[in-house]
Amino acid sequence: MGTMLSLQKVTKIYPGAGHIKAVDELSFDLEEGEICTVVGPSGCGKSTAMKMINRLIPYTSGKIIIDGRDVSRLNTIELRRSIGYVIQNIGLFPNMTIGENIAIIPKLLKWDKPKIDEKVQRLLEIVNLDPNEFRERYPKELSGGQQQRIGVARAMAGDPPIMLMDEPFGAIDPINRAHLQNEFLKVQEKVKKTIVFVTHDIDEAIKMGNKVCLLKDGKLVQFASPEEILTHPKNDFVADFVGGDRTLKRLNLFTIKRAMKKDPPVIRQDETIETAMNMFSKIDAEYLIGVDGEGSLTGIVSKHNISGGATHVKDAVVQTNAWLNGNASLKDGLSEIFTHDYGFLIVVDDTRKVLGWLHTEDIKETLKG
Amino acid sequence: MIPRILFQLFKVLLPVVLTVLFIVWLYSYYGAWGYTVKNLSEFFKLIGEHFILVIISMFWAILVGVTLGTIMTRKSMEKASSVIMAVVNVWQSVPSLGVIALAYGFLPVIGLSGIGMVPALIALFFHAVAPIVRNTHAGIESVSKDVIEAATGMGMTKRQVLFQVELPIALPVIAGGVRTATAIIVGTAPLAFLIGGGGLGFWIFTGIALVDMSIMVAGAVPVALIAMLFDYCLSLCERFLIPRGVRTDEIKMAS
Repeated sequence: MGTMLSLQKVTKIYPGAGHIKAVDELSFDLEEGEICTVVGPSGCGKSTAMKMINRLIPYTSGKIIIDGRDVSRLNTIELRRSIGYVIQNIGLFPNMTIGENIAIIPKLLKWDKPKIDEKVQRLLEIVNLDPNEFRERYPKELSGGQQQRIGVARAMAGDPPIMLMDEPFGAIDPINRAHLQNEFLKVQEKVKKTIVFVTHDIDEAIKMGNKVCLLKDGKLVQFASPEEILTHPKNDFVADFVGGDRTLKRLNLFTIKRAMKKDPPVIRQDETIETAMNMFSKIDAEYLIGVDGEGSLTGIVSKHNISGGATHVKDAVVQTNAWLNGNASLKDGLSEIFTHDYGFLIVVDDTRKVLGWLHTEDIKETLKG
Repeated sequence: MIPRILFQLFKVLLPVVLTVLFIVWLYSYYGAWGYTVKNLSEFFKLIGEHFILVIISMFWAILVGVTLGTIMTRKSMEKASSVIMAVVNVWQSVPSLGVIALAYGFLPVIGLSGIGMVPALIALFFHAVAPIVRNTHAGIESVSKDVIEAATGMGMTKRQVLFQVELPIALPVIAGGVRTATAIIVGTAPLAFLIGGGGLGFWIFTGIALVDMSIMVAGAVPVALIAMLFDYCLSLCERFLIPRGVRTDEIKMAS
């Protein structure tokens, strides 16, 4: 994995009053497959910085290097065709069907038709839209979220190693937005593009980025991993910008799996009540986690709930919602812990097999690092 | 379902049927049928002249109008386009008869004949070009900046943006201008006779001058039919040319 994109002292000066530097000696390197979120208050030059990469805006001085090649020496049109571009207002072509929209760059690149058709099919599947249903439709007939997915699919159609995204989810309502963000991260896991992602929303920047590039008045303030930005903001401006709740924000950066303890008090439900009682006294616990033969969660056994009549654990097991998938964020985990009375959360995998359990102390430990 | 289709058919057919009935009645009432049959060869000559007037002036109006309207939207033309627009707007308010008279009076000044088919064509062309220029300009200007930014950012050349994005999206508006222009040309064409341009205006004005309704109707009715024919042809063209996604009607909303 080498450096895919490198900005070296890139500067943009708009001619006219005061020669204000919209972007001032911006430098950073991006590894292949990384997402760099560019964030900052409005007017900080983040969009300008991004648009200089595909030369929609010419830069005044400095160097931009993509995969070892100096951008200023490349043909503008060819350069742009090799970079995926997604904008906030999507900009789908209303006169073309969804299929035609996605096929634009492959057609410009003169791929042959079967290859284009196959690509369109695959991309629609990747962004979770049924090709048979959507291919022949027109942009007007789609919802905003669906349109943005097409926007992303269209940008990926030419197999660009690099993608530029200008507030791609900015115009989408919060619920769909979170959904699209998660979906996009899943897609990214498969396609591994190098992405420059502009946003004004620090939460989005932290969630989406492997690197966060924080700009102020055209100058780079901090370029670091989201974790680093949250734990060690470089100065008061960064600390202010990420917000007073930055420790809570870090909860989003960890999965439950990473923080949990792997020694949950599980008991197979075909065991007898005596075994359960022995366990209770041995480990001094209030609750046991009931599992079946495969180790999948069946429910919870409470110390106080074992009545005289029960002979086996399965008679005493109570159904519970106090569990989450190990891939969920610590923030969700914390919320679940507080939702239920057990004081802990059961962590399961995709097949509901019990992996571990999570207490607030574990979260504290993780945040300490 | 079936009653609905019948209703649609009824809605489309009724005006056509009524108009045809009215025209046939008018024709026979004034004896125009007899006059037409008696002068059949002249009738065909006039019809031919009329079609030439309409089609040729229309052709040039569309060609020049769309080209000019498009050029006006290019970035380097901003200043020039506001001037052209002002001229076009004033020009469009000149009445039909005025345009014909102007051609008659002005063309000799620049050394051309003011009489005959050519001045008539020039007059019709100038009269019809304005709405096409205007709508082409407005149509392209109204294409969303996001769409153009996306197209440019994806690596389309300026020419590709124009022909694959801007013009197709602007097409419904441009088509509106063309329809207005056609209505103007078809309506003005009979006046071409006044400056020796030929066409069905000959019978209309002759009929009026001789107070002979049969001659007048024999000219006027075909003029009306030609107008309807052109309108119909244009709507057919629109259906073929305008992509479904930018048509204003027939858009199925996402369910």
